[in-house]
Amino acid sequence: MREPNAIDFWRGFALVTIFINHIPGNLFERYTFSQYGISDAAELFVFLAGWSIGLATRGRDGTPEPRLTTVLRLLSRTIEVYRAQITIMALALAMIAGCALYLDNPLILEWHNAGGFFADPIQTMVGVVLLTHQLGFFNILPLYVVLIAIAPAVVLIGRVSRTLLLALSLALYGASLVFEWNFPSWPGEGDWFFDPLCWQLLLVLGFLANEASRESERLRRLWRRLMPLGVVIVIVGVVLAVLEWRPDPMLAPEPRLVFTFDKTYLSPARLIHFCGMVLAFQGVYALIAPHVGRLARFLSGLGRNSLAVFSMGSLLSLAGQFVRFQTGGGIFVDISVVGSGLIALGFTAWFVEWRSRRPRPTRKAPDAAAPADTPSSSRSA
Amino acid sequence: MPAAPSPSPSSPVEALDQSLSPECRVPGSKLYTLARLKAVKAALKEKRPIHVLSIGSSSAGLGASASYPVKLENALEQALPDVQVEVEARSLPGEVASGAGERLRSMVAEVEPDLVVWQVGTNDALARVDIEAFGEALDDSVQWVKSHGIDIVLIDPVFTQSLADDAYYTQMVRTVQDVARREAVPLVHRYAAMRFLSTQRTTEAHMLGRHFRLNDLGLRCMAEHATRAITLSLLQPEAGRETGKADAVKTDLSAPAKGPSEGASTADRK
Repeated sequence: MREPNAIDFWRGFALVTIFINHIPGNLFERYTFSQYGISDAAELFVFLAGWSIGLATRGRDGTPEPRLTTVLRLLSRTIEVYRAQITIMALALAMIAGCALYLDNPLILEWHNAGGFFADPIQTMVGVVLLTHQLGFFNILPLYVVLIAIAPAVVLIGRVSRTLLLALSLALYGASLVFEWNFPSWPGEGDWFFDPLCWQLLLVLGFLANEASRESERLRRLWRRLMPLGVVIVIVGVVLAVLEWRPDPMLAPEPRLVFTFDKTYLSPARLIHFCGMVLAFQGVYALIAPHVGRLARFLSGLGRNSLAVFSMGSLLSLAGQFVRFQTGGGIFVDISVVGSGLIALGFTAWFVEWRSRRPRPTRKAPDAAAPADTPSSSRSA
Repeated sequence: MPAAPSPSPSSPVEALDQSLSPECRVPGSKLYTLARLKAVKAALKEKRPIHVLSIGSSSAGLGASASYPVKLENALEQALPDVQVEVEARSLPGEVASGAGERLRSMVAEVEPDLVVWQVGTNDALARVDIEAFGEALDDSVQWVKSHGIDIVLIDPVFTQSLADDAYYTQMVRTVQDVARREAVPLVHRYAAMRFLSTQRTTEAHMLGRHFRLNDLGLRCMAEHATRAITLSLLQPEAGRETGKADAVKTDLSAPAKGPSEGASTADRK
């Protein structure tokens, strides 16, 4: 188990923010940072995923691991993320259907794009497995599956030349913005909520930031000197968000995605704002960690187990939405829903670690009774 | 809920709109509020295809042959003979009160339709957002669409027996109506229509009561109802006729009186 650190801390922070933002209308939503800027927790999550890939594909001493190991490691991670997405989609659809039946309320079947599944199950089932049918709020993991799937290429190209990697990534991003390339939805029309062709840039930036800062003290110093610039960008973001000022997409000149604040295509304004956030807050963890040991341990725990926590968070926020809907919300409900959700997320993180470090009972000889059925044979994921 | 008594003097009970298929038949006053559709009219005059952007949670796309957008396209093409109608469908995740309006703007900019048909309110109702915030955000979005010379038709949320007495929910439906009235845009009363249908004994069950499913019928009726509101709105007097100022905002009370009779003859010509 890793000690609390800045990366896990911010990852946990992003997870908590996503959890709260995915219970729309709740009291705490307005206290999340997403309401006070152009970019939000999704950017943070993807950037840190890129950063972690850099860490995961090197040994403890910092030497890059063999190429084949990297490819296999990331392939195995891709399968894990895909499995998580399929599992939470199945559970979410069942929760929606079950809740609609239990409350005798067909309105719930139309919950954020679930209507397609219940109206056209034959096509939509295929779409679920292909990741081309996404429910609202369940659209981050499909992006993540694609990003981790292409991560071996990112790492291997990055080992040859970082400049080449950055150039390729920027070229793909730019072309996707200009030509509006995206992955299609099916059977519903339209495109993915998070365009992997654009969002790959954040993963690459995260990866490169880790790689470059590991080696270059000069670069780290430069970033620290740029902190005031980051603060200015953050302040501009707050002002724009509070005044709700943003370009009108019908009036924006072509290529319009370059000028609008578009989340799907990670438009440049969001990217710049996010980079400003990174510059502004780069030193904050070191500053506050000694004073908020408990919080740092809690958030780092979430961050260390991000996939499990994210998956549970998605389902818990869905359940939270139903509770708010049925009870009518209100301050007491919101505190209970968000509070119990955070406790459950903390438990999830603890439980995943408990499962993986629990000492396995020594296997008995094959002639002992039914060794295959012992609980210990279930591997931790 | 404006439960308007029929203004028609000939019959004490308002007749069902005969242009609809039997299982979707609802009196006009329960079905729509009409208003002018300038952009679609212009497209008709120029004899070019009408581009429709259908937005909402039932908007599964064309991959599914039986889906609502396909039904809407078919119903519109049937009602408007010799006119090519192209329906693009998008789902709109998120709440109007918090950010979905932004996403709507991107979609409209991308598709550049003549007409937006927006099933609105479900997600916001499920999130129990503040109704005032919802109304303001919806009004903003409708204004924005209109300001770019694009027509918009709203469809209010679905009726369900379990929420028949839910004050918040009926308030939500009313807010959609208020916005439609204030902005003078046509409205399909999905709520009232389904409530009416729920009292009729039809062989096929609408998606009501226990063991419901989001079935073909409910979506087909919604497509028919939306089509009806659109075709009748196209028959509204020209904008140039200043005397018809009162016509600019059709309320539930006035619309059905003239709507079904004259509309049926044109719309059914096939």
